[in-house]
Amino acid sequence: MPHLPRPSRRAVLGALRCAPLAAYLAPLLPRQAAAHALVMSSTPEPGARLATAPARVTLRFNSRIDHGRSRMTLFGPDNQPHPLALAAETDPALVEAALPASLPAGGFRLRWQVLAVDGHITRGDIFFTVAGR
Amino acid sequence: MESLLDLYGFFSVVLQALLLLSRTVLLGSVIFWTLLVVPLGEAMPGAAHQLAGTARRLVLGAGLATLGFTFLAAALAVLALAATLDSGLGAVLGADFVRAALGAMAATTLLLLLARPEGGLEPGRRFGLLAAAAVLLGAAVAGSHAMARTESRAMLMAATFIHQVGAALWIGGLPALWLSFRLPERATRAVGQRYSPFAVAGVGLILLGALGFWLGYIGGVPAVYGTAYGAMAATKFILLGLLLALGGANYLLLHRLETVPAGLLRVKRFIESEMALGVAVLAIAGSLTSVPPARDLVDDRVTWHEVVERFTPGTPRLTSPSHQDLAIPAMQAQLDAEWQAAQQRQAERPQAFTPGEGLLPPRNAQDIAWSEYNHNWSGIVVLLVGLAALLDASRKVPFTRHWPLLFLILAFFLLIRSDPEVWPLGEIGLFESLRDPEVVQHKLAALLVLGFALAEWAVRLGKLTGRYRYVFPLSMLAGGALLLAHTHAIANFKELLLVELSHLPLAICALVGGCARMIELRGPDVLARRAAWVWPACLVIIGSFLLIYREA
Repeated sequence: MPHLPRPSRRAVLGALRCAPLAAYLAPLLPRQAAAHALVMSSTPEPGARLATAPARVTLRFNSRIDHGRSRMTLFGPDNQPHPLALAAETDPALVEAALPASLPAGGFRLRWQVLAVDGHITRGDIFFTVAGR
Repeated sequence: MESLLDLYGFFSVVLQALLLLSRTVLLGSVIFWTLLVVPLGEAMPGAAHQLAGTARRLVLGAGLATLGFTFLAAALAVLALAATLDSGLGAVLGADFVRAALGAMAATTLLLLLARPEGGLEPGRRFGLLAAAAVLLGAAVAGSHAMARTESRAMLMAATFIHQVGAALWIGGLPALWLSFRLPERATRAVGQRYSPFAVAGVGLILLGALGFWLGYIGGVPAVYGTAYGAMAATKFILLGLLLALGGANYLLLHRLETVPAGLLRVKRFIESEMALGVAVLAIAGSLTSVPPARDLVDDRVTWHEVVERFTPGTPRLTSPSHQDLAIPAMQAQLDAEWQAAQQRQAERPQAFTPGEGLLPPRNAQDIAWSEYNHNWSGIVVLLVGLAALLDASRKVPFTRHWPLLFLILAFFLLIRSDPEVWPLGEIGLFESLRDPEVVQHKLAALLVLGFALAEWAVRLGKLTGRYRYVFPLSMLAGGALLLAHTHAIANFKELLLVELSHLPLAICALVGGCARMIELRGPDVLARRAAWVWPACLVIIGSFLLIYREA
């Protein structure tokens, strides 16, 4: 999970604080941006505690994904980014990647970014923990 | 580049709304020109010639705007994607949405080239304009939500296509219809009567498309109040109902009640209101492009019980929480601690956000109390404004014509209380605080309220005439439309959604109130007398909603 930049925190707090003051104050409402592609299911599941590291990660989205312009990166216990090579497309809504053969025990963050074919960019994180052997 | 990503979500929605607006007017004007004006030439060659020039200029203007907004929307997405992928532009340019945008730009350019020559519209050019318009619409569908769906894709693409054809037929043709009122009365009435079948067909296609959206994107009543997509779609539907009422009144005035006094002027005023509401509907449509379909969001939906609970009137909070309770370092420490805990919970659920999007911080009880106090007192002020304006409309209490001065209280309130951490309540100095864009926004808002209050007061006193009279109603209309054209959290953040649900009635009231005040100012008298009661009533409703506003 990226740490919330301070200006964004203030913006969201501001939205909650002074949201519907009056209709004509609408331009003052800083709001969260949004997009379309949502993870409908994943392997591993978010927050999963696994005895052994999975061989691959699989994300199923609610949208058709442009695989050539999507990315997955694994952050390990050392918090260093390890880009993953996406598997060839077999299903337009499915994004898969093989994980490195030996993952150490610890907490992992899978950062994904996809481009839906309607042009919307979405990012997200899946956290999971490998207990080790 | 980080700045670009911060702005990406917001500007992509604004550009989408502007693009929808310009494209709808472009397509509507092409249809008006080719299918209404050309046949009119057989019966009224003079009027048709004049109207053809008007429609042609509209096509050129809306075409240039469409070309520009299409380019800007695509360019913003390309730059954002290239930045997030850390790759060159070349790798991004082959994306489907870029190809759809290039197709739309090519079709728009063809429309501009075909519309450029002056003079009569020969059959070949007429067919070319319609064909290019169809290609433009096809390219728009290729870059829409429907294209990315995994289920019911063909049905949703068809629904998108016919929905937008319907919008072009009805809403998109309104500027050309409005401009036809420059013609002699007999010709204007003939144009209006010929326009009716287009509008009726447009309504049918809009509803047919909406049925497809209901099946493909919403899927059930709980999604309507439980998700941002559903709530916005419902608001769009309510505005569509208002548009239908105006359109129905125009139909009667043009076809059944031809002898009603000032009938055509009434039609013109209703068309102006239709255009204002049409802009709001397209603003919602632009906003909807940033939200995942309701059908896909099954977790954390707002329940009906929560909606009822939030809207059940309670005792307004009229006592300010102590400013000491809002000590920023203490609040920040609490926020940070809660944030850490929230991270753990959120890790167990799939998340998604747009690059540059901030995440929702945890809430603070004192902060909520501060906010509720601000809203509830603002509600009292707006309620008083509405009641005073109602008394003024009765013309029995002369001093109530000074009601705009009540808005000065709101401006002062906003100036003082919107940012508790900065001057004059907080420890941060005024000039230092102005480095924060949000503080600048709040201070500008106070000045904006001050400006339109003084402008409306001057109008009441007869010291301000001409177009300045429209400052107040245009502020209401702009506020209502902008309230609808913002972006939304991608997931179902319940608290944001509940706040949003309280915005929607305010937006509708602001739009209706703005239209009514416009009609009151522009006449005819028979409409103005009724409209004079409508907009103060809208202010009373807005004030009442603010008075019962709660965040928990």
